[in-house]
Amino acid sequence: MTVTVAPQEFKFVQFDAAHIARIGEQLTQLLAIDRPVHIEVDETTPLGRVAVELGDTITVRVQSGAFEDSRKPREQSEANTSVNLGRALLRARDRLQGGFGEAPADSDLSLRQVAAWETYCVGRLARLGLQVNEQRWRYNFRNRHGFSDVSDIAFDQIWASDGLTWGELEAISTAGAEGAAEGATRP
Amino acid sequence: MRKFFPVDSLARDSRFNQITMRQSQADPRTVLVGTDAKQRPNSNRLTPQRPDASDRARGLMHGIFVGEIQALEGAGRTCFDFETGAGDSTDNVPFALKLDMARQAWDEARHVEISVKLSEWMGTEIGQYAENTVLFEAACSTDPVLRLAGVNRALEGLAIDVFTTMKEFGDIAGDPYLEFCEDWMLADEVTHVKMGSDWLRRITENDPERRKKALEFQSVVDKIFSFGGTRSDSDESPIGLARRFRELAGFSDDEVEDIATVSLAALEERKAFAARARADAVDQFSAS
Repeated sequence: MTVTVAPQEFKFVQFDAAHIARIGEQLTQLLAIDRPVHIEVDETTPLGRVAVELGDTITVRVQSGAFEDSRKPREQSEANTSVNLGRALLRARDRLQGGFGEAPADSDLSLRQVAAWETYCVGRLARLGLQVNEQRWRYNFRNRHGFSDVSDIAFDQIWASDGLTWGELEAISTAGAEGAAEGATRP
Repeated sequence: MRKFFPVDSLARDSRFNQITMRQSQADPRTVLVGTDAKQRPNSNRLTPQRPDASDRARGLMHGIFVGEIQALEGAGRTCFDFETGAGDSTDNVPFALKLDMARQAWDEARHVEISVKLSEWMGTEIGQYAENTVLFEAACSTDPVLRLAGVNRALEGLAIDVFTTMKEFGDIAGDPYLEFCEDWMLADEVTHVKMGSDWLRRITENDPERRKKALEFQSVVDKIFSFGGTRSDSDESPIGLARRFRELAGFSDDEVEDIATVSLAALEERKAFAARARADAVDQFSAS
């Protein structure tokens, strides 16, 4: 599938549009994405949000921090580009392949739901061989579900899963958060 | 052993990448200015409600970690760089001051270990973020009184603000380890600031000119340590000014107000600088 990137030349950061496109092409192949992908990088902000718009083309809008090397500000990180683009494409694939029809629009997802879905995406990316730090995502999950053994069990279940529907994902996430709220705190 | 160690010779392994404040500030990207106000967050304060809260907290925690290393190095240098004496000139300090600096070095070493453990807990690797060396630069003055003003009062004062923000973050997010550790480190920082304030007063008791110079240096460092608007009373800054803990550390109301004013000025300067840097980046790109 074709992958296009905008802008082609960067003014504020030292990113390489061709490199981003190459990573995008590898990911579309790896994740079996069935339509063209257009990646728009907002290089005016150091934040790292990633938004996806679905249509005949999948449009991924990325703030530059998502592709940046945190050790070398303003330079591109291949690992961060791969993981952050990969989780956006997986979320798109989930919506396109079915089973996620009940999922709210991205803008209506709660922070807890976003954390659960990200965990599901990154766990799958890890099994596909992408370099990820599991503890980082566990910490993010705990921040949204509570710091408890129950939320950790929910994280482990989501992280190890393939083929979940939105309903199944939401049920595990809700159970994890409710367990924490009931005071099942870490010893 | 060498005295007055320069910032570019700090011992670090290959995991670390050091950057200067100038490099950091040269980044034209910012959330403070921009053409589309709708895309800017209502508040930049670090709270768990932010969508990127975990990653922001991890970044700040790494900043604390490298800051603790540099604070350890600075306090250690102050023990060694000066002769033992009455503290009446710039080449000597009282032995009791060295003892306080040794105690501080011990505290900072413990903070480094705590920060490493917290970083692991949060999913951050050592050296994952660039290390800004501005903290140690303030510890390179050849006058020990200026070091006390720059490091103990300005830098450790900033640490009070940062730890208070992180402690509140841990409290609201329900992270028991983060809240607990930040609270303990915060208590030490209050002590370090107080040690700096006490020694500054004692050593310059009969030397008003030296005291004035030290307080001016502190003001400059305070402005630099505001990280171009990262710390101020404004919600546009990720880190707030911890007025109560500063009071406990011996800052007078007037001093806290001065820091608040300087920090807000730094925020406005950062916005103006970012706007200029943006325009320059566009111009350079158009000309190429």
